[in-house]
Amino acid sequence: MTKHSVLDTIEVITSSEKYKGIVMPSKDKKYIFLKLNSGYNIGIKKTKIKKVKIIKKYKKEKTITRKLKIHKNLPTIALLHTGGTFASKVDYITGGVIARFTPEEIVAMFPELEKIANIKSEFISNMLSEDMCFKDYIKIVKEIEKQYKKGVKGIIITHGTDTLHYTSAALSFMLKKCPIPVILVGAQRSSDRGSSDAAMNLTCAALFIAKTDYTGVAICMHETINDTFSIILPGTKARKLHSSRRDAFKVVNDTPIAKINYMTKQITLFKPIISIKNGLEIKPKMEEKVAILKVHPNMSEKQFLFYKNYKGLIIEGTGLGHAPVGTKEHIKILNAIKKLVKAGCIVAISTQTIFGKVNLNVYSNGIKLLEAGVVPCEDMTTETAFIKLSWLLANYPKDKIKDLMVTNLKGEINERLQPSGI
Amino acid sequence: MNYQRLGFKAGIEIHQQLESHKLFCSCPSLVNDPNPTTNIIKRKLRAVEGETKEIDKAAKYERKKDKWVIYEAKKTSSCLVELDEDPPHNINEDALETALQVALLLKAKIVDKIQFMRKTIIDGSVTSGFQRTGLIATNGEIETSKGKVRIPTIMLEEEAAKKIKETPTEIVYSLDRLGVPLIEITTDASLKDPEHVKETASILGMILRSTERVKRGIGTIRQDVNINIRTHPRVEIKGFQDLRSMPKVIEKEVKRQIKDKRKTTPHVRKANPDFSTTFLRPMSTSARLYPETDIRTIEITPAMLKKIKIPELLTERAIKLEKGFKLSSQLANELVPKQKFFKFLVKKLPKTDPRFIAKVLVEYPKEIKSRYNLKVLDKHVEEILSYFDSKKITRDAVFEALLEISKNKKIDINKYKVVSKEKLEKEIKEIVNKYKHLRFNAIMGEVMKRFRGKINGREAASLINKYMK
Repeated sequence: MTKHSVLDTIEVITSSEKYKGIVMPSKDKKYIFLKLNSGYNIGIKKTKIKKVKIIKKYKKEKTITRKLKIHKNLPTIALLHTGGTFASKVDYITGGVIARFTPEEIVAMFPELEKIANIKSEFISNMLSEDMCFKDYIKIVKEIEKQYKKGVKGIIITHGTDTLHYTSAALSFMLKKCPIPVILVGAQRSSDRGSSDAAMNLTCAALFIAKTDYTGVAICMHETINDTFSIILPGTKARKLHSSRRDAFKVVNDTPIAKINYMTKQITLFKPIISIKNGLEIKPKMEEKVAILKVHPNMSEKQFLFYKNYKGLIIEGTGLGHAPVGTKEHIKILNAIKKLVKAGCIVAISTQTIFGKVNLNVYSNGIKLLEAGVVPCEDMTTETAFIKLSWLLANYPKDKIKDLMVTNLKGEINERLQPSGI
Repeated sequence: MNYQRLGFKAGIEIHQQLESHKLFCSCPSLVNDPNPTTNIIKRKLRAVEGETKEIDKAAKYERKKDKWVIYEAKKTSSCLVELDEDPPHNINEDALETALQVALLLKAKIVDKIQFMRKTIIDGSVTSGFQRTGLIATNGEIETSKGKVRIPTIMLEEEAAKKIKETPTEIVYSLDRLGVPLIEITTDASLKDPEHVKETASILGMILRSTERVKRGIGTIRQDVNINIRTHPRVEIKGFQDLRSMPKVIEKEVKRQIKDKRKTTPHVRKANPDFSTTFLRPMSTSARLYPETDIRTIEITPAMLKKIKIPELLTERAIKLEKGFKLSSQLANELVPKQKFFKFLVKKLPKTDPRFIAKVLVEYPKEIKSRYNLKVLDKHVEEILSYFDSKKITRDAVFEALLEISKNKKIDINKYKVVSKEKLEKEIKEIVNKYKHLRFNAIMGEVMKRFRGKINGREAASLINKYMK
């Protein structure tokens, strides 16, 4: 069989058929995938192939991109790419989705950005957000610092949506003093398709940076499943609440910061913007040995003791912040928690109800946890509590951490919960 | 018109909706969902860069219009998948099987592995901005009166949403139809003239219906015809009302092209009810497909293919009926859709001539429909024919009885009951005596007035003759 490579035009002769097309990249070892003239791809079983004829070897074509003009009257926004389906674009030849990073490529994909700001871009990583680690947060923070020093008006971070709210919480704490807007933007529909939400979220984030004095970390996503409004959510008070919808991100126990009308470009603020002037201060360290344990029926003490060498543990409790410590057999669990605390692990409890505040004073199980030394996470989301604890442990003396955990540092605690979001 | 001299070439693309739930979710295929709208969604679609690093021509055209796209969703016929808020679910196996059946009927080569593709469509008719479509088989063929026609491709794909209205600022679509499984069959460009186009479309339609798993009725099958004459670029005509209009529309379009001396580019036209066509949009470039990464590739193994039953073609079934029951070919053809019921009746009514059953099943309902605008139900046919089979009514009474039961939903069968031989003989004797002075025909008229549908005419005539002597 003649040796052919990906993207060559070949003719495949099988026992019954003849196919002509371009070889597609594939991880499937048993099949050759061909893109036929019609544009359709098919898989041909390799064992059926009698003969392969190379018709044309693939030659890479040079792409010409135009240089971007700098508009002096427009602010400069730096786009940091971390991954996700955001800046992805289909390579129609291979059918693969490739990430685009250069400012020219980004403006070519989202031409409306050019009217709002001068776009710079930086590639940090291209990963699915569930693969992110603390070290990736540190990279982002370092890049933000670099861009800040270059004098950008604001920063947009494109990010996979799955753990976007963890990153937004991490950046909120790590950028201890943040005099510029840092907006995380995701997309629930990849930008290769006509129905993508990427362009609207990106445009609205750029508008928000260009037209307001907001400083600090926030998220910009669809408000509803309509392409009408994007919403700016506080970095420490948001959560992905749907696996697939465009409006997956919602504010939890707080008010959104603003919303932006995609058509009229009008920005509506839901609360006054407090701007920090001058002086970026970063605290980019994170403690690695911190975990989350979700409470569920039928638990054993072993599940808790697993964390005995950890520096911090967030228990995602039930209801007002409860764990199974009420019955005789569950005394072992209470003792396990006490053991963790005694070993120096900061044990804090949040709630799996997502909405509402933890209160350990109401039921006897709550009181037991409190007396065992468990810290209530107030109305923080589990994700924010986890990030905050990891950050506190790496940056503050041990005796301060319990107090800081229940002190509002970056909008993560809201003491005056309201019946509705807005 | 001499189509050969014009360099006439034509090919058909047939889209047939399948009778199954939607292709990539569990919603029922309610093409015209009568239930109320439960959600209205507002979207903007963007033109995305195509394969040639250029925004697809058709996409660009739609973008120029830059309208809001409004989707009306009914929870009875759509879910988050139709709203492009949830990735596609696993493929509808039933629809896949039907597509494979059709491929086998068309003698096509089924691919080893199906890869669903995203076909960029930006007019708003698909919420995702692309239609999901997979090449199932290649290189099939059918026989026509003018030779073999090749079938290069057979596709399984999603139906688009239905446009409800368009204003200068928005286009409104209803989502009930979106995602209904569709089989697309394309022919090569070897069709020789307008009549040949019609014949080919008709054969393909028959093959699709042979699976008994396709939707029936207006709009459930659509034919797009690509035509090309030497002097003009290719034109695609969409929206034929029916097969009969096809040759007329094509002929008119060819005439229009011959008269049109302007330089044109390939485009899509719409067939109008008066057989003319109007410009719809530029033809999109072909290169606008890329893999649907949300759906895994589907392996078609020999074992899977072995399990697939190849249905008998409707035409073959008609020939069998014609020969088996000595029916006229027209009656046999029309009987095919009711074949199962026919065979059931033949078995149930052993004393009745199958040819009469076929006639009552096919022709009587047609006549009752055209003369009285009434629908004849199968159960009524069965009831009336049973009376006939057990000799409760005569052959002549069947039509009247079927009409009455269709009208009133019930019947007093005594009205049609066969008069006993003794009673008939007695009454005929009386009538003949009473009208001694009249001639045979007049007496026969009197008899039939009294006993219409209840007696056998020949029997009555012989009795009249007997007493007139």
